[in-house]
Amino acid sequence: MSADEKALPPPVPFLRAARAVFDLSLEEMVWSRKSLVMAGLLLMPVALAVLFRLVANLKHAPAGIDLYGLVVAMYYLRNALPLAALFFATALIADEVEGRTITYLLSRPVSRASILCGKFAAYVVTTLTLTLPGIVVCFFLLVTLRGFSGVAAFVPDLLRDLAVAALALCAYGALFTLLGVLLKRPTIPGLVFLVGWESLANLPGWLPRYTVTAWVRSLISHRPVDEGLAELFQTTLPAGEAVVVLVAITILGLAGAYGIFSRRQFVLDQ
Amino acid sequence: MIEFARASCWYGPVIALNDVSATIGPGVTGLLGPNGAGKSTFLKLAAGQLKPSQGEVKVLGAPAWGVPEVFHRVGLCPEPDAFWDGLSGWQFVTFLLRLSGFDDAEVNRRAEAALVEVDLLAAKDRRIGGYSKGMRQRVKLAQAIAHDPQVLLLDEPLTGMDPVNRHRVVELVKRLGREGRTIVMSSHVLYEVEAMTRNVLLVHQGRILAEGDVREIRDLLDEHPHAASVRARDPRRVARAVLDLPEVVSVEFGEGGDSVVVRTARPDAFYAALTEVAEEAGVYEVFSPDEDLESVFKYLLARRGGAR
Repeated sequence: MSADEKALPPPVPFLRAARAVFDLSLEEMVWSRKSLVMAGLLLMPVALAVLFRLVANLKHAPAGIDLYGLVVAMYYLRNALPLAALFFATALIADEVEGRTITYLLSRPVSRASILCGKFAAYVVTTLTLTLPGIVVCFFLLVTLRGFSGVAAFVPDLLRDLAVAALALCAYGALFTLLGVLLKRPTIPGLVFLVGWESLANLPGWLPRYTVTAWVRSLISHRPVDEGLAELFQTTLPAGEAVVVLVAITILGLAGAYGIFSRRQFVLDQ
Repeated sequence: MIEFARASCWYGPVIALNDVSATIGPGVTGLLGPNGAGKSTFLKLAAGQLKPSQGEVKVLGAPAWGVPEVFHRVGLCPEPDAFWDGLSGWQFVTFLLRLSGFDDAEVNRRAEAALVEVDLLAAKDRRIGGYSKGMRQRVKLAQAIAHDPQVLLLDEPLTGMDPVNRHRVVELVKRLGREGRTIVMSSHVLYEVEAMTRNVLLVHQGRILAEGDVREIRDLLDEHPHAASVRARDPRRVARAVLDLPEVVSVEFGEGGDSVVVRTARPDAFYAALTEVAEEAGVYEVFSPDEDLESVFKYLLARRGGAR
């Protein structure tokens, strides 16, 4: 070891570096066109709920909690959140590579793990900020269709839904972060995964266990009647196991993404 | 400080750098070669952005690839004109200083000092997306020097700069070199390198063709005049100012009517004259096509072939 090498200080502490990357990534994500589009997508049920309250004959409307359950299960968990995860998480590293700003991040005394974690944390905060208020507003708009009495009884359901949404965003986000560092153009394969592979959740037998969506929807307590074949074959998996599986998907997805990110020569992709 | 030991790098079937051995010590070293010669690959290997396919690259005694702590002491000014465009110059430099581990007070002090060095303090709060090409080059340089690195890697740092700031940056790099830092600056323009150092590595087709004193190849330029393309609001004013210089070989107006291409055997006299009219004529970009250097390399290669 030479004198030069001995004198080198250690890398910047992990949390400090991740925090700096988080701050920058959050700024970039929140004020992006992508966030505007995603905000529209994630807040659309709020607009529809307002419209429903204005025009629907409330005496003949279905129970508010059923409508709310439909919105959470069918709109948010099955479609909007996976899509938001796809568009944000696949771009975490890919945007830096495409924009050729990755060079600045990789020429600082920080570990690649801190860069990845800082970016993933910014993704989680951004998507939660866009999602959770929409779910809460939908809950109050729909559950109070026939007045406020009895609303308190459903608040635990709301809290559980918020936690499930957060867990779903983490699990899908980690998978799509992995896809984003694995492939140069991850969007189409990601869509194929969501539309194709995730549909296996509606089949009978053991296949749903290999999808994310089956585990996610097993966690919500007020599941509405699902569409088509799902009504016949919809599988419910144990909730405790579902939490463990979703956390494991998050950890393994991020670990896999780190494994690739730490070795890859991104200059070659530019 | 920077050691290449039989280092090679290839992209698929393309050999970008071939069995290069070199040791670069303190002072300014010019990495000179035409576009595609391997200069950027050389710098990317030294900056740990690429892993050598074969051989070894060390910076400050540590492998350049996979040792992030080396970047406490290394500054990189990359060639691509790439930024987080939503950031201001100040945000850009301070963010990268935070990534170097400095606390807030130190980040602010260093960012201010670096922006003063490149004359961007007045524009620090403007978004980089609204900067001119020359300003973007300078803010890249500011982030490279802000953490006071021992080793500075500059990939075509003068591209697109106006004459006044070109002079300023040349003086800055020379001063940093005199302070004992190891600076490697790539360029395809002999005049740019010559303005900063006499010590050059000539790179061609992925190999080090020659190393030593730039004056040894300077004489060849009498046969191959330096070409400079000047973009200005009033290119005719530029043409008038330089036309009568005895060393100017030719002056042509470029396509689009906003540029003038000047060929001269005495680049220093030309740039001095250009600096005088730069403001009046609204000069906003100067760059050099590399045909002149290509000619020098062809000559060198032919001479080398003849000597065998």
